[in-house]
Amino acid sequence: MATIPEEFRFGNFLASIIWIILIVIVVLTLVILPLTFVILFYAPLPPVNGEVLTPYLFLTMIVDPTRTLPIVKYLIHTTPFKVVVFPGFVFSAIIAAATIFVERKFLAKMQLRVGPLYAGVWGVGEGILQLAADGLKVISKEILIPSGADKPIFWAAPIAFVATAAAVVALIPVAPGWVVSNTNVGLIAVFAILGFFPLIALLFSWASNSKYPFIGGLRALHQMIAFEIPFILSALSVVILAGSLNLTNIATSQHPFWFILFLPISAFVFFISSLAELERVPFDLPEAESEIVAGWLTETSGMIYGLIQLGSYLKVYALSALFVILFLGGWSGPLIFPPQLGPPDAIPLVKVLTLQGLYNHITVNAIFWFLVKTIGIIMLMLLPRGISPRIRIDILLHTGWYKLIVLAFVNMFVALALIYAGILGPGGSLSIH
Amino acid sequence: MADLEDRINESQKMGMQIIKESEDDRLMTLSVGPQHPGSGHFRFVVKLDGDYIVHCDPDPGYVHRGEEKMTEYRNFIQNIPHLERPVIHDSTNITYSYSLAVEELTGIEVPRRGQFIRAIASELNRQVYTLYWLAIYGIFLGHSTMFMWPTGDRELFIDLLEALTGARVTHAFNIPGGVRNDVPNGFKDRCLRQISYYEKRLKEYEDIFYNNPLVRQRTEGVGILTKEDAIRLGVTGSVLRASGVPYDIRKAEPYDVYNEIDFKVQYMKTADSFARAYVPFLDMRESCHILRQLLDKMPEAGEVRAKLQANPRGPPGEAYRRVESGRGALGYYIISDGTPKPYRVKISVGSFRNMLALPHLLVGAKMGDMPVIYWALNYWPVEADR
Amino acid sequence: MSSEANHSNNSNNNFVIISNEFNKNNPEITTTLAPPNSRHDHPLVSTFSSSSRLASPPLTKTVGSPGSPSTPLRRKEPEPPAFEKGIASEISANFGQMVQIIFIKPLRIKLAVEPPNIVKVATFLRDNLGYDHAESVAGTDYPKDDQIEVIYHLGSYSREDLAGQVLSIATRTNRDDARLPTLINVYKSVEYHERETFEMLGVYFEGHPRNERFLLPEDWADIPPLRKEFRIKGR
Repeated sequence: MATIPEEFRFGNFLASIIWIILIVIVVLTLVILPLTFVILFYAPLPPVNGEVLTPYLFLTMIVDPTRTLPIVKYLIHTTPFKVVVFPGFVFSAIIAAATIFVERKFLAKMQLRVGPLYAGVWGVGEGILQLAADGLKVISKEILIPSGADKPIFWAAPIAFVATAAAVVALIPVAPGWVVSNTNVGLIAVFAILGFFPLIALLFSWASNSKYPFIGGLRALHQMIAFEIPFILSALSVVILAGSLNLTNIATSQHPFWFILFLPISAFVFFISSLAELERVPFDLPEAESEIVAGWLTETSGMIYGLIQLGSYLKVYALSALFVILFLGGWSGPLIFPPQLGPPDAIPLVKVLTLQGLYNHITVNAIFWFLVKTIGIIMLMLLPRGISPRIRIDILLHTGWYKLIVLAFVNMFVALALIYAGILGPGGSLSIH
Repeated sequence: MADLEDRINESQKMGMQIIKESEDDRLMTLSVGPQHPGSGHFRFVVKLDGDYIVHCDPDPGYVHRGEEKMTEYRNFIQNIPHLERPVIHDSTNITYSYSLAVEELTGIEVPRRGQFIRAIASELNRQVYTLYWLAIYGIFLGHSTMFMWPTGDRELFIDLLEALTGARVTHAFNIPGGVRNDVPNGFKDRCLRQISYYEKRLKEYEDIFYNNPLVRQRTEGVGILTKEDAIRLGVTGSVLRASGVPYDIRKAEPYDVYNEIDFKVQYMKTADSFARAYVPFLDMRESCHILRQLLDKMPEAGEVRAKLQANPRGPPGEAYRRVESGRGALGYYIISDGTPKPYRVKISVGSFRNMLALPHLLVGAKMGDMPVIYWALNYWPVEADR
Repeated sequence: MSSEANHSNNSNNNFVIISNEFNKNNPEITTTLAPPNSRHDHPLVSTFSSSSRLASPPLTKTVGSPGSPSTPLRRKEPEPPAFEKGIASEISANFGQMVQIIFIKPLRIKLAVEPPNIVKVATFLRDNLGYDHAESVAGTDYPKDDQIEVIYHLGSYSREDLAGQVLSIATRTNRDDARLPTLINVYKSVEYHERETFEMLGVYFEGHPRNERFLLPEDWADIPPLRKEFRIKGR
């Protein structure tokens, strides 16, 4: 609570709205419309229905769904759209940003405080623009590089971090057919990419040329490597039951029953291992604040810190989504969306607004249930931050190398037993194959 | 005199070389320095062999302000505001001891109601300090909820103290001869309400922190200070009581009205970091009982402070009085030469005495145990530096 | 005046009783605020006061306490309490002339020892009487006597009956060449206190492993600050 918020004056508010409208109108008339005319005048466009394509015809066509629909449909299913917007970067970045905000508010309520309150209008947004403010702050801060630091790696490591996190996100299917990269070895690819993170942490901590990042980097290395094995083993039991490494197939093969019913211990081991991979409390030793200042993140500042935070939360989304796909049935759920949003014979504008032709109720339903389950698992991952202290490295390694591997093996044998008994797996009595 | 100067210069040169890079390549010298979220305004240099600490050298003095020298320039009453600066949250206790010593030197009598109010303020301050300590202990372990809850509950006690004394932290409430002003109306009821609410909160602290299996795993068996070592090193306060020595100044040498209050000295025998973290919690609970009794027994009316002359002074002599503060026995050794200003004031603080246990316990511990051991010693850097 | 003040039989000229020095400057010190016999109403005294008359005269008289003989007596000299007297007599019986008892008050006993004997006395106190730790070490500068007094406050954790007792041992050394033997081998708890006394007053403790700067900043280039000639700037 550093400042008292300004008193709200309606006159000022109205004035700012009018300014915004004015600027939009000015930009539109002075820049965009002439640009459109210039392009349409000089670009050799084909005649449409015997008519010359004038700007007015162009604008009419935009509203007509029979013209625009095929274009939009074509655009949505292209790979660049999938990579950038959905289910790629923009989608996951929005979920990551929402996760950060919800985490702060959720923890605040648990800790008898309020959380972000003043960014965004008090009472209306309750701090919802805090994230934008933090983003702007992080972008505008000076980046300090310690003397003697290895500059190429210092700059490359955070970018590699975000890129790797985005690569994991790229393999996650959100709805049937909606995945950036649909490989037949999707799960193995996820593990391979996840194995790159300890290397990035170690490289960055070494390049920082400082003692505290060095200790933190070693801890990150030990931790992530120790928990990769239970991670893979628990996912392996899912593969045994599903019979495929393709993530979409794993999700669809859970139509009768979710795998968590048969593999609860594996799900538990997977959850704990993903908490350790994500460096979340109680496994946040690589950035243990009271012991090693900020661990391997000590020398990050400004945008480098921002990139690493973004990468971290992208990983949170990715690993929660992976949990949902592997154990909670992906996008399966009851069909609660109607086949059509609006009447089939309405005026074109209403057709455009109700997304007719674009709206596929099965896809929307899948996306909805996927999001509900993923957000539920993300909230479950946020919970230990309010109730747990930090663990110590030797207890962590002991847990990762001994206890979790044993538990993962236990459930793997259970899965194998179920297959041999003919209940699950290809040709079993409870599967769809 | 020149010989002494040479010797001082020589040792200063030695003092400036406090970090020597180790000859062994295997060891890494780490300065857990003043710019560290895990140390406060204090530095200690550790040498690490992998994850194990092999050597520790405390280096206090970052907040040394010369409190003892400054007391020689002000008279007995003027010394109160700056003497409470070493521990701003526990300021009533650090001036309590001073007031007792001055009263012994000058022969001032404190009226009974004043004694009760002093004791009540002292107990409230003990709660404030211990809650702050507990909050920092939580965050040192990485438990952010345990940082927020005690800090929030501490606000309620600070509000009580603000109603009583007018300031949130450095109260300047105790003066030789009593307290500065009387309690406000309705203070007793407000206090009792707050204590009832607080006792419920203490149960929640136990659930989330002391019975948390991760906390137990990290603190139990870590940094064991045996009873013989504790006595030999001369530690005090909750550190001593956690090692099995039931020593509390309020019972050993009762001052003011503490001989009329019935309470038990809380101690534990396990002598590890968990015991050192748990004993202040038990002390807080016991402090609630003490507060209830004090509020009960306080006389309804009366003077709160003796009538003082302009410059109180006493015959030449010396006095050594102690008080149980949040960190341990806080002793004042005052020599008076018959003038209104003291000739020498020596403050014997619990933090300075407990600092001796730090190298003793850290050597052989893991790096991850460092905040657990360090903060459990109830060390407040500003007080140790005076 | 000096003969009145020096009640003890110690003929060692190094020792000057505190009250003597201060009374030279302020001959008329009156306890302005205390009513007579306030000492006995003191809560401490009420726990330990012994009102019984002793059969034999006390070994030492209390010197240096409020109501010293040079002031116009408004009240009787307080009777030294029995328990503390027992401890003091045991010490005197063992050391005789080496130890001079400065005062015996309820819960407080003060001894004065010469620097060469201090380790022996401290060892005796630790092993035989049960004072197992030192609470603090205070150094005081007396420029008028050209001496520095270092006083150790000893306490006991292990003995229940000594729980509130604090025994102080005082030694004096010259200001010019201040050297004292260290008590670190007897009481480990004096390690940091002696180091602080070294840097604040310039007293070199022989045998202490580190006579170094502790609290003062690394670039301290002035005289030890607790000496009386060190003036705080502006005052």
